[in-house]
Amino acid sequence: MSVQSARRWGLVAQFPAPLKARFARNKLAVAGLVVVALFFLFCFLGPVLYSTDQVHTDLTQVNLHPSGSHWLGTDAVGHDEVGRLMYGGKVSLLVGLAAGVLATVIGTLWGAVAGYAGGWIDAVMMRVVDAGIAIPALFILLVVSAITTPGVTGLIVILGLVSWLVPSRLVRAETLTLKSRDYVLTLRAIGGSHSRAITRHILPNSVSTIVVAATFQVADAILLVAYVSYLGLGVQPPSTDWGGMLSAGLTAAYSGRWWLIVPPGLAIILVVCAFNAVGDGLRDAFDVKGRG
Amino acid sequence: MDTLLYLTRRIAQALVVILIVTVVVFGLLHALPGGPARGILGQQATPQQITLFNHDQGLDRPLPVQYLYYLRQLLHGDLGTSYTLNEAVSQLIEQRLPKTLVLTVLSAIIGLSLAIPLGMWQAVRRNKPADYVITTLSFVAYSTPVYFLGLVLVLVFTQVLRWFPSQAPQGDTVGQVFADPVALVLPVVTGAASMVAAFSRYMRAATLENLSEDYVRTARAGGSRQRAILFKHVFRNSLTPVIAMLGYYVPVLFGGALVVEQLFNYPGMGLLFWSAAQSSDYPVLLGCVLVISVATVVGSLLADIVQRVVDPRVKGGLV
Amino acid sequence: MNSILEIENLGVTFSTESGDVPAVRGVSLRVAAGETLALVGESGSGKSTVALAALGLLPGNARASGGVSVGGTDVVGAGEAELARLRGRTASMVFQEPATALDPLTRIGKQIAEVVRNHRDVSRREAAAEAVALLRRVGIPEPERRASAFPFQLSGGQRQRVVIAMAIANSPGLLVADEPTTALDVTVQAEILDLLRALAADSGTGVLLVTHNMGVVADFADRVAVMLEGEIVETGAVEEVLLRPTHEYTRRLLAAVPRLAVTGSGNGSVVREEVEGAPVVELRDVSVRFGRGPGAVRALEEVSLTVRAGETVGLVGESGSGKSTAARVALGLVAPESGGVSLFGADLRKARGRARRALLAGVGVVLQDPVASLDARMSVAECVAEPLRVHRRGMGAAERRERVAEVLELVRLPRELARRGPRELSGGQRQRVSLARALVLEPRLLVADEPTSALDVSVQQTVLEVISELQAELGFACLFVSHDLAVVQQFAGRVVVMRDGRVEEQGPTMSTLLHPETEYTRRLIAAVPIPDPVLQRERRKRRLALGTGAGA
Repeated sequence: MSVQSARRWGLVAQFPAPLKARFARNKLAVAGLVVVALFFLFCFLGPVLYSTDQVHTDLTQVNLHPSGSHWLGTDAVGHDEVGRLMYGGKVSLLVGLAAGVLATVIGTLWGAVAGYAGGWIDAVMMRVVDAGIAIPALFILLVVSAITTPGVTGLIVILGLVSWLVPSRLVRAETLTLKSRDYVLTLRAIGGSHSRAITRHILPNSVSTIVVAATFQVADAILLVAYVSYLGLGVQPPSTDWGGMLSAGLTAAYSGRWWLIVPPGLAIILVVCAFNAVGDGLRDAFDVKGRG
Repeated sequence: MDTLLYLTRRIAQALVVILIVTVVVFGLLHALPGGPARGILGQQATPQQITLFNHDQGLDRPLPVQYLYYLRQLLHGDLGTSYTLNEAVSQLIEQRLPKTLVLTVLSAIIGLSLAIPLGMWQAVRRNKPADYVITTLSFVAYSTPVYFLGLVLVLVFTQVLRWFPSQAPQGDTVGQVFADPVALVLPVVTGAASMVAAFSRYMRAATLENLSEDYVRTARAGGSRQRAILFKHVFRNSLTPVIAMLGYYVPVLFGGALVVEQLFNYPGMGLLFWSAAQSSDYPVLLGCVLVISVATVVGSLLADIVQRVVDPRVKGGLV
Repeated sequence: MNSILEIENLGVTFSTESGDVPAVRGVSLRVAAGETLALVGESGSGKSTVALAALGLLPGNARASGGVSVGGTDVVGAGEAELARLRGRTASMVFQEPATALDPLTRIGKQIAEVVRNHRDVSRREAAAEAVALLRRVGIPEPERRASAFPFQLSGGQRQRVVIAMAIANSPGLLVADEPTTALDVTVQAEILDLLRALAADSGTGVLLVTHNMGVVADFADRVAVMLEGEIVETGAVEEVLLRPTHEYTRRLLAAVPRLAVTGSGNGSVVREEVEGAPVVELRDVSVRFGRGPGAVRALEEVSLTVRAGETVGLVGESGSGKSTAARVALGLVAPESGGVSLFGADLRKARGRARRALLAGVGVVLQDPVASLDARMSVAECVAEPLRVHRRGMGAAERRERVAEVLELVRLPRELARRGPRELSGGQRQRVSLARALVLEPRLLVADEPTSALDVSVQQTVLEVISELQAELGFACLFVSHDLAVVQQFAGRVVVMRDGRVEEQGPTMSTLLHPETEYTRRLIAAVPIPDPVLQRERRKRRLALGTGAGA
């Protein structure tokens, strides 16, 4: 049933429920939000309550099984695994969040300009996006990591620079639709400026698309940074992140020390799932298109 | 005529994209420590050799000229020489690419043949327990890093159950890869899993959208059964957007291959790339990036053409 | 009498997010074999829901109660299998939107054959031959060749013929037609109605015709049932209901329908004197082309038209005639490939910056879609104040607020609406907000592109009244684009008829529409059904005698 026919039959409520209510109805999305909040608390507030030494090695405490004193055991150099999870999580969450937001900002600007300008400017800008999509982000990341060893800031910038392409496409599509909306045409017809059309109508109406894109972007960035670290080219020891922990625990896993890879692996899955669920919920609440 | 015009336009577009890719790779080449001369002469080149090389090859000339030179090299299939393996990059890729293609194509075929019926089935059973279970599973799989999934599979099937070997088939030719099909199971399954997760989601969404289309109501009004409508009409209409997605999925497939090959020690292009990244073997790295990017561009070109064949409206310029 | 459709005390309730919504209550009606019952009403009256309930096609969130019997089968209690046997054989349906009613990826012959094979044990080849025969019956030229066409290769009218072919494939006793011609141009509408009438008469099929268009009712129906808010308020023979309505709502509805005057002195009372003022907007030999290369579309070809101060010019034509494009050229939204546009005597294409802004300050715009015309993120006040912010930058907030309130009252909306969001308004209110925005700068020219075509007739009447009253008061010129000849006749002093991107003819409205000079305009006028069954019967006979309109 099309929206129009639904409206014809009076099936669409005249006053759509407020955004918050529509989001709250999606239980998975609410759960996602809770999980995200819990992980932030765990990683940023946790170390205050549960203090561990994550810098110095302690060779008397290596490879301990999970127990009362070390809930998730210790790793090959004696770091407590729970503390390590907090320590690595800080990097994973921070880098993911910052890189996701950066990618969305770049993508939004690029897509909005291309969509609004149209014509050959749009064509050229979109070919650049096509080229960017053609070069797999993971490969470019590894090349760059091979050239220089990036710190946290560098990692954020690089991740942002390789993953703005999808949001730029979404925002361009949105801009294309919005600029031919009747209210924008009306404004242009009475002599309103381009800048007014963009700032008063197009950007405010794209906010939902942008927010949804940003949420998915953060999920992707957390995964991507885990990939890079897993392949041994992310943040360098003694600093670490969840992907790095997986990489470090790889050989140990074969000898049965599951507690070195299962917790960081589950942490990544949970957080990425949570961000994706929040994104899904927001998308449905905003009723915008984008990503299956 | 119409088709010819479309093809020329679309191929021209693809060429422009490839050109932009070469600019990016060229830029990376110049960002290398030591510049392209080192990239081509190798790690051991002396400063004198480099100066001589730079002069001979015109690398002391302005960048645009150098770029043209670089393009000429590419057209001759010259991607430089590996630092560590002392072999032409093009030759290395020639050996490894077919094996990676075996892995990705197998994963894609298996993944899609599971994902498409699964997505349709979910759409039909929408909001029933089965849909919730599968949706949640694919949601989790979608958010799981490929290597973690692979790792878990390795631990379970090679360490605990000991059903499969932990190493992928070794060997230099595609034939040798197929000689050991059991060893191929885990790498292919790992590669296929994320494909199933992503594409069952797309297929479910596309099927749901089509089920609410007016033509479904028309068919029902004509006395067609639900099953017939699903297979005669909804299936084809839902498949076309999924095919279009496939074009964009090529880089993801290669990314997956990179991880899977590293995990199972499968001697394809991904493993080549990974070890090159470990040893900063720039010519190999950039050569691989270039080849994969071109493969992606060709992949989405093919997807567009297939879509055009499947969907007559595209030919009419209506979509 | 033998009824093919009997509906007894039908109730339909939709369960929605905001609770249960009753859409239909206590509806009883019957359709006899060979007769046409028109179910009329405005949007939201529940008429389409009744139509869907007749075939058990209600969406999943609907619950039906009461009795619906088609050819003796109870539909309300039937399972899917039983319904599938019934649909397409005993009863079938024609839908409103031919653009989406057919599977885009399946050849039309195959889609028709599918309906044939659903109910008859025939081979694929026989079904294909049957499909060709059906295409011939519904008047598709070269049916053998067209059978292998995809829906997108057909025009809207042809697609509707294909849907009709599917509907009549198994000679059903009942045909339910839900707004079958609403999405079509008038000339195509006339052809489709002729076709439906001929088919129904041939095979003695009963027809349940759902429509909002009283002209279509007068043209086609034997009996009429009028629906209001889910209930039937009046039923009777078409002459009775349309000419001597008893229920108050029916009377109101009929009074609001704009009628095309087809006889008369050529000097109708509604039409103002012809004005000889200075040209406000002028298009001279304007040509517009969309796209480049071999795929380019010629949208306008040497179009010239003038709107003078104080007059209203109606721009009419069927879809694709270029009328909206011409209006957009006048507004400077579409750049002509050749030809000249002058606005208030100045060349709009040469004006830049401040001069251009000053010119455009004299223009007000109202576009068709009440939903898309207002930015949902702004309040009504912000929407209306936008032109002030563009052109009266020095204006203070209080003064602006006062001006907005003034214009809202001008368009007969309460001041309090200013704080609301567009989503909280009805379609008619939104179009009046658009009008208020257009008039806030006291323009010298109002360009209205189908401002009422998305509205119900009673709402349309109010909006049109507001526009003409304000025009009398404020004296602006108006370029009024519409596909509805009756509305233009009522509203415009001069009319420009467009066809395929060219001006077909133009002149004073009354003389042009009563004594058209070109064959095309004559056909266009003849195709408009008027809501008087007696008169319409005459018109139809004359039209068919002329051999125009019927494509079959």
